Amino acid sequence: MVGSKSRKRLLELLVFAGPAVLLIFIAAELPFLMSIYYSMTKWNGISKHITFTGLRNFRELFTDDSTFFPSLWFTFKYTFFNVIATNVAAILLALGLSKALKTANVLRAVFFVPNIVSLVVIGFVWKFIFSLGTTSLYEATGWGFLEWSWLGSIKLAFSSVLMVSVWQAVGFYMMIYITGLSSIPDDINEAAELDGARGFRKFFAITLPLLMPSFTVAMFMSLANSLKVFDIIYTLTFGGPGDSTRSLSLDIYTEAFVNNRYGYATAKSIVFVLIVLIITVVQVKFFKSKEVEA
Amino acid sequence: MTRKRRNLIIVEIVLLVIACLFVYPFLLVVINSLKPYAEVMTDVIALPKAWEFENYKQVWQLMDYPKLFGNTLFVTVVSIAGIVLFGSMAAYKLVRTKSWLSTLLFFVCIAPMMLPFQSFMITLIKLSKNLHLMNSLPGLTFIYWGLGCPLAVFLFHGFIKSIPFELEESATIDGCSPYRTFFSIIFPIMKPVTATVVILNVMWIWNDFLLPLIMLNGNQATLQLAAYQFFGQYKSEWQFALAAVVLTTLPPVIFFLIMQKNIMKGMVAGAVKG
Repeated sequence: MVGSKSRKRLLELLVFAGPAVLLIFIAAELPFLMSIYYSMTKWNGISKHITFTGLRNFRELFTDDSTFFPSLWFTFKYTFFNVIATNVAAILLALGLSKALKTANVLRAVFFVPNIVSLVVIGFVWKFIFSLGTTSLYEATGWGFLEWSWLGSIKLAFSSVLMVSVWQAVGFYMMIYITGLSSIPDDINEAAELDGARGFRKFFAITLPLLMPSFTVAMFMSLANSLKVFDIIYTLTFGGPGDSTRSLSLDIYTEAFVNNRYGYATAKSIVFVLIVLIITVVQVKFFKSKEVEA
Repeated sequence: MTRKRRNLIIVEIVLLVIACLFVYPFLLVVINSLKPYAEVMTDVIALPKAWEFENYKQVWQLMDYPKLFGNTLFVTVVSIAGIVLFGSMAAYKLVRTKSWLSTLLFFVCIAPMMLPFQSFMITLIKLSKNLHLMNSLPGLTFIYWGLGCPLAVFLFHGFIKSIPFELEESATIDGCSPYRTFFSIIFPIMKPVTATVVILNVMWIWNDFLLPLIMLNGNQATLQLAAYQFFGQYKSEWQFALAAVVLTTLPPVIFFLIMQKNIMKGMVAGAVKG
C-alpha cells in the first residue's frame, strides 16, 4: 500500500534530484556505458555502419599497435617525474610561505597565477619563450643552455614539457600544503623545538607525518592529473618531436579524431580508464594507511 | 632571536627572486605584445621603444573579440547557473530523504567523479550528435551541466549534512512548501559552498579547451578555441598572437585580482573535499 504521503515524498525527490541525475547520466554515464559496447566494434565515427568485432580491438592494442605502448611509457615517465617534482617544489614553497614573511600574500598569489590561465595559453606562452625568448636571453647572457633546442630535440622536449607542467601546477599544490601546515597546532611545533628538533630532523619527524592528509590529497590529484595530461601537450608539442611526448590522452584523441578509428580509440580509452583507476586506488590506499593523528 | 630574523629575511629574498623568475614569461608576453613585428624579432627582452596599442586594435577586430567574449561569458554563466541550481536541489533532497532510492541516486550523481573524461568523450560526441547538441553553444552548456553536477552535488551534499534539520521543520509547520523552504531558507545558508562551486566552475569552464574543441567542431566560438586557432594562423606574427594571449587571459586575471583570497581558498577547498 502506497500512501499519498509517501507518493508525495517520492515526487518531491524526483523533482529535486531528477534534473541533476538525468543530466549527469546523459553527459557521463550513458556515454561511458556506450564506450564499453563501442570498444568491441569497428566504427569510423561517420558512417552508420558499425560492425561488432568482439575483442579484436583489444587484441590489436596489445599485440600490434605502434603508438599505445610508447604513449603509455611516456605517460608513466611523465607522471613519475611530474608528481615528485611538483610535490617537492610545492612543499618547499609552502614551508617558506607559511613563515611570517612581509610579502607572503603577494608571493602566494604570484605562484598561484598560472593556475587561472588556460593551458592553451600556457602552452603558447612557453612556445614563444622557447623559440624567441631563449635566443634573446642567450645573446644577452651567453649561457649555453639557453641556446639548446628545447622543443625540437627528443631528449629535451620531455624536460621542457615537465618544466612547464610543474611551473603551471605548483602554486595550486602549494596552497594545499599551506592549508595543511596551518592546521598543525603551534604547541606541537614548540614542543619539538624545546626538545631540540630543528631543520631537517623536525621536518621529517614532526611536520611531514602531520602533513600526511594534505600529502594524500596532493599526491592523488597530481597523479590523476598527470596520467590524464592533454592540453599542455596538445598546444606545446602536439606529441612531438617524433611521438616522443605523446601521452595516452593524446593517443586516444588522435586515434579517434585524426585517424577516424573511433571504435578502436574507444577500446584504448577503456584500457586507459582501467589503468588510471587501478593506479589511483592503490595510491590512495597506500597513503591513507600512513596518516597519523596529531 | 636575531638569527631567526636573519633567516626569515634570507628566505624572503630567495622567494622574491624565484617569484620574479616565475612571472618573467608573462612579463615577456606583455612587453612583446606592445611592440611592432620588427622589434619582437630583433630583441625579445628589450622594452618597447614606444608603447603602442596598435596590435591590440588589430587583434580585437581580427579575432572578433567582443563576440567571442560574449559567447564564452554566455557558456560560463548559464552553465554555472544550471550546475548550482540542479546540484544544490539534488543534494538537498538526497540528504534529507533516507531510502535506498536516494542512496542509489546519490551514487549515480557522484560516480562520474572517478571517470576520466577521455574514457567517454568519443561516445559523448556520438550521443551529442544524436541529441542535436553539436555545434551549438546551448548544446555545449547542456553537457557542462551534466559534467559539472557530480562535484557540485558532492560538495553541497557534504555541507547540507551539517545544517540542523530543526530549521526546515519549523518552516514546514508554518505551512511553507518544500520548494519555498529550499529557496528561501536552505539556499541562502549555503553561500560559502556555493561560492566554492562557482569559483571552481568559472576556472574550469572559462579555460576549458578539449570539450569545446570536439563539440564545436572547428567553429571559432569560444575564446580558448579562437585563441588556439589564432596562434596557428598567425604563427609567424608573434606580436598579434601575444596580444591575443593577453586579451584571452585578462578576464580571468581580473576576476582573480578581485577575489584572490576566495579563489585560492575555494579551489583548494573544492579539491580537498572532492
